Amino acid sequence: MGSDPTGAVSRMFGVYDEATGLALRGTFIISPDGKIFNAEVNFYNLGRSIEEILRKVKANVYLAEHGDEACPVNWKRSGDLTLKPSAKLVGKVYEATHKK
Amino acid sequence: MNEQCCCLSVGSTVPDFKVETYEPARGGFGEFSLGSLKKKKRWGVLFFYPADFTFV
Repeated sequence: MGSDPTGAVSRMFGVYDEATGLALRGTFIISPDGKIFNAEVNFYNLGRSIEEILRKVKANVYLAEHGDEACPVNWKRSGDLTLKPSAKLVGKVYEATHKK
Repeated sequence: MNEQCCCLSVGSTVPDFKVETYEPARGGFGEFSLGSLKKKKRWGVLFFYPADFTFV
């Protein structure tokens, strides 16, 4: 558990609320190279979905290893269908994600 | 409330920062820096919360 008594880190990530002196419920997924891949910020009264955060971490790890793929809408876990973006896929994403 | 002007956003590289930590597994204080995460080549989740003992 980290401490941010001056709010410097919270301000750096844009979650410091000057009106209250508190941090909003922000979650940031950072790659091993230090790049932010995902950000989610909720107001005080809405708790996060840990399931969703884990889903995004797993998606990021998968995509880092499969640079030519993309995770479509509602991708949940490794093994689920992914897309290989290309000119051939234009206009055909629905078919590609709804094959039987 | 807050503008999105000068802070980080998705796609930015985070500058190295460090925070003092409490590590329950060791029962003592420590330090976390972004640099240490990069050295270990791990993905990280930074989880901000407003205060202890809120009702959420």
